[in-house]
Amino acid sequence: MDDLSDERSCLSRRAFLLSGGTAVAIVGLGPLSRAFGAGTALQVASYPRKRVARVSQLVEGTPLTFTYPWNDLNSTNMLVKLGVPAGGGVGPGRDIVAFSTLCTHMGGPLAGQYRAQYRILGPCPLHLTTFDLTKHGMVAAGQATESLPQIVLDVSGDEIWATGVMGLIFGYHSNLAVRA
Amino acid sequence: MATPISYSYQPEDRVPLPPRDAKVATTACDYCIVGCGYKVYTWPLGREGGPRATQNALGVDFPAGINAGKWISPNMHNVVHVDGAPHHVVVIPDGDSKVVNVQGNHSIRGGVLAQKCFNPNRPSQERLLHPMMRVRGTLQAIPWEKAFEVMAGISRHVLDRYGEAAWAMKTHSYGYFENTYAISKLAFAAINTPAYAPHDKPGPGADTPGLDWAGIDAFSASYEDWGAADVIYMAGTDPWETKSVLFTSWIMNGGNPDKKLIFALPRKTTGAAWGEQRGGLFLPVIPGTDTVLHLAIARIILENGWEDREFIRTWIANDWEIDVGMGRGPRNTPVEWFTTWGRYGVGFDAYKKWLLGYKYAELATAEQISGVPAASIRQAAEMLAKPRADGSRPKASFMLEKGIYWSNNLGNTTSFSALGLLCGAGNRPGRVISRGGGHQRGWMGAADYPRMLSPEKFPGRRKKEIDLDRWVEDGNVRFAWVIGTTWMQAMAASQGLIETFGRITRGNAHQIASFDPKAAVETLKRRADSGGMVVVDQDIYPVDPIGTQFADLVLPAAGWGEEDFTRCNGERRLRLYSKFYDPPGEARPDWWIVAGFARAMGFKGFDWKDSNEIFEESARFSRGDVLNYYPLVASAKRQGRRAHDLLRELGTQGIQTPIRQVGDGLVGTKRLHDSTLELGPPEGATTHPAWLTAFNSHTGKAILLRSYWEDFQDFHEAVQPVGDELWVTNGRINEMWQSGFDDLRRPYIMQRWPHQFLEIHPDDAKARGIESGDLVAIENDKVLVQTGAYQGVDDADLSFTALRKAGNITSTRGSFSAVAIVSTAVRKGVTFAYFGFPGNPANAVVPRVPDPVTNRYRFKLGKGRITKLGESPYKRSLTSMSFAPRNIV
Repeated sequence: MDDLSDERSCLSRRAFLLSGGTAVAIVGLGPLSRAFGAGTALQVASYPRKRVARVSQLVEGTPLTFTYPWNDLNSTNMLVKLGVPAGGGVGPGRDIVAFSTLCTHMGGPLAGQYRAQYRILGPCPLHLTTFDLTKHGMVAAGQATESLPQIVLDVSGDEIWATGVMGLIFGYHSNLAVRA
Repeated sequence: MATPISYSYQPEDRVPLPPRDAKVATTACDYCIVGCGYKVYTWPLGREGGPRATQNALGVDFPAGINAGKWISPNMHNVVHVDGAPHHVVVIPDGDSKVVNVQGNHSIRGGVLAQKCFNPNRPSQERLLHPMMRVRGTLQAIPWEKAFEVMAGISRHVLDRYGEAAWAMKTHSYGYFENTYAISKLAFAAINTPAYAPHDKPGPGADTPGLDWAGIDAFSASYEDWGAADVIYMAGTDPWETKSVLFTSWIMNGGNPDKKLIFALPRKTTGAAWGEQRGGLFLPVIPGTDTVLHLAIARIILENGWEDREFIRTWIANDWEIDVGMGRGPRNTPVEWFTTWGRYGVGFDAYKKWLLGYKYAELATAEQISGVPAASIRQAAEMLAKPRADGSRPKASFMLEKGIYWSNNLGNTTSFSALGLLCGAGNRPGRVISRGGGHQRGWMGAADYPRMLSPEKFPGRRKKEIDLDRWVEDGNVRFAWVIGTTWMQAMAASQGLIETFGRITRGNAHQIASFDPKAAVETLKRRADSGGMVVVDQDIYPVDPIGTQFADLVLPAAGWGEEDFTRCNGERRLRLYSKFYDPPGEARPDWWIVAGFARAMGFKGFDWKDSNEIFEESARFSRGDVLNYYPLVASAKRQGRRAHDLLRELGTQGIQTPIRQVGDGLVGTKRLHDSTLELGPPEGATTHPAWLTAFNSHTGKAILLRSYWEDFQDFHEAVQPVGDELWVTNGRINEMWQSGFDDLRRPYIMQRWPHQFLEIHPDDAKARGIESGDLVAIENDKVLVQTGAYQGVDDADLSFTALRKAGNITSTRGSFSAVAIVSTAVRKGVTFAYFGFPGNPANAVVPRVPDPVTNRYRFKLGKGRITKLGESPYKRSLTSMSFAPRNIV
């Protein structure tokens, strides 16, 4: 069994909170609604809260890695300050984002593939897919059938917390369910 | 500032796993030529499999492994109806595949196949559900029988009064053997109409005459060959964008992962950038000028003596061998042997002499015309043909596609095949000359196109296939049945065609005002008799404008996954595309609809019970052809089984045609013209055409064809951008398929491409005040269009210069809007858009003057004035449309 972060609880319980469309008020989510903005869908179940970085330690264009929501290989993510506002971006410049580093095509490793000039993650070394980190990890060009899963972030003072995942992480059948 | 648009694509964070007892079917992708193998799992709602290998039908533990082809992404799942009950469906690339998409590789297009399945709760709910007739201006549901009655009534009238050539069909040519067999049996055997055109061109005939005439089948290669090559010359195509898995599985990997890639394109695409990074070469060619580029490379090869002399000695026809057949086969040029004897095909010595003395093959001239630096042209020649120090030659292969054959069809393809042959390619492993391919190969003709009835004729006596668009524009068609194509947007100068269609359909005074079939037929007769046209549109979705605005009858078709079908991919691999769910509403496969109409007309031989019956009947028409599957059907018959069921057993692997019987088994054919293939005597139903082991010419030797820039120069000059115009060339991108008929219903794809785009060079953009994300107008006030001139008498009658002189060239206007993407990927002076984006087809600014020899359009040679309209709603959106460069490698 994989390690779980201490903050995680009730992993077997599935309690989806869905919102979508510009007219939906995301009451009570606070930071999440700021993070994802009107019109962006989000699905948050009982994801754990995990502190993943500090705003003051970030260098623009230099990614940090962290694991979330589990501690296995598939849960490897990167967090980066893009320098431009991004979908789901947090922090004063709305430019701090975090994404899974497994390609949603066939799981190729994207760690180390960040291109700061273009705010692109990729190309994936397997089949050359690239993802646009300013637009929720949308495929810029390539073969992936899902956007890159975006880690929902929340800033509290200097602390950056991961609070959820938008999109299914490569390899999982469910981000939250028990694995084999 | 425009208001940002937010697409509401909602990524899921889980996907249901198929339980152990889920039903499994095999199929192949519905889209591109590569034809990846897929498995389909269906099971009733209410249950799910578990994450342990023992708990799910995939037999793997979750998390699924990296690059193992066993992960299900949420876009691979949908909910459909099976026998009337709601079921989960998972459509996943076959992770067990050893062929095509090895280990479950896939493209973004195939990977989201599940989303094309009809689900009333998703955008696919827009599927056509009922036959409909436009009564008092509105499409309204009617029973199938009534639709057939109206169609037959007006058809009889048109055929009786105006003849076969006034009764037209415009259909897909690839939508599975069972459907195209029925379509061709109706069009060419029962009706016998010459007014027929496939979806992607104005009439039947060869797409790559330069290959056909040389004796090379356009799909002679296997994917293994592209994998094994040392160097590949890619002309007018980037398989990474359009044949994804051919590139990612076979070209990036395959037998020789270190191969070098040469791309000749006006635009540095992802594949071109990747190839260049790995020691390859990018040749930034000006649209339409590949002929001189090919000739210049060939000339350098000959000047240096780098040609493959041993191959040429054995496999290239000499002058005598070309002349020996008295007009049949050896010259292999349908035009030549009546009209241009000796103009194209010559032996090696004569070819060499001609090329070395031909001014348009000179390096400096070629550099100036094609825009490709001389040093790059020289380097290409070296990479393709210069023998190594030990005397061995690089295994060179040659891939071509629409970028060259839809700009200068004849000149580009003849010069291309000659270049490949000089390098020793065409009939050996890793050394092939082939198309990369577009759509899959699903045409099985029940009868030949009746060319003798065509209104068109070459200079001399030989008949020529029709240009159906010109035929319609000139008012000769009274009834048109459109199956599975947008027609106008897929053709050149689209908006002029749309205007014509509007005028002769809805613009006609006679519109159906009653549900009574007899009254409807009487109205439509008056339409036809007053110069108007009746349109039937058959498709899976409402198609604008042919179905939504112009059609009198709209018929709902059932397609992929909704019927058992068969088809071949780009290496002639035949597979069964299984039915796994219920078609929506009253939708029926094309063959069923065609048969219903044919019976209403009183035609015999349209009484099939199911698609397998058609497959078995059609097999005899494949005999002796490259798609020959007759031995498979014969084998099934011997075993007392249905042929579809025998093919089903072969799963995603299928079998490569032509199929041969060896002993008790069936054997596929890896490549055509294969000089390494050893054949025993033909057994059972097997045939052994000479082209299995030799080239497809009278002598079995390939023919070098001369190409003349002068034949094309007048047209190329006439369509050049002038003043502040730019080339507006067009093509495909990885994330979309064809007219976007399914993509429009996939939020995942529409967030990426919500609008047509235009790639424009930074210098050209700056001069027009354009930034990425701006909405721009592309307008061409002089879209050249040919009228009339169906028949040539003297040799030069159908040349562009002669047509213009005779008053057969007019012009129309075309325009579309696009979101600008400023990019150094395109060369200065050239812009690039998606050819047929829904609502904004780049084909609108493309001239409609076909190649005079082959009737193929010069789709890639559009031009226009680009002006900024303002900011698009995507410019500042954080959720829709990416403006990042596509070619980051």
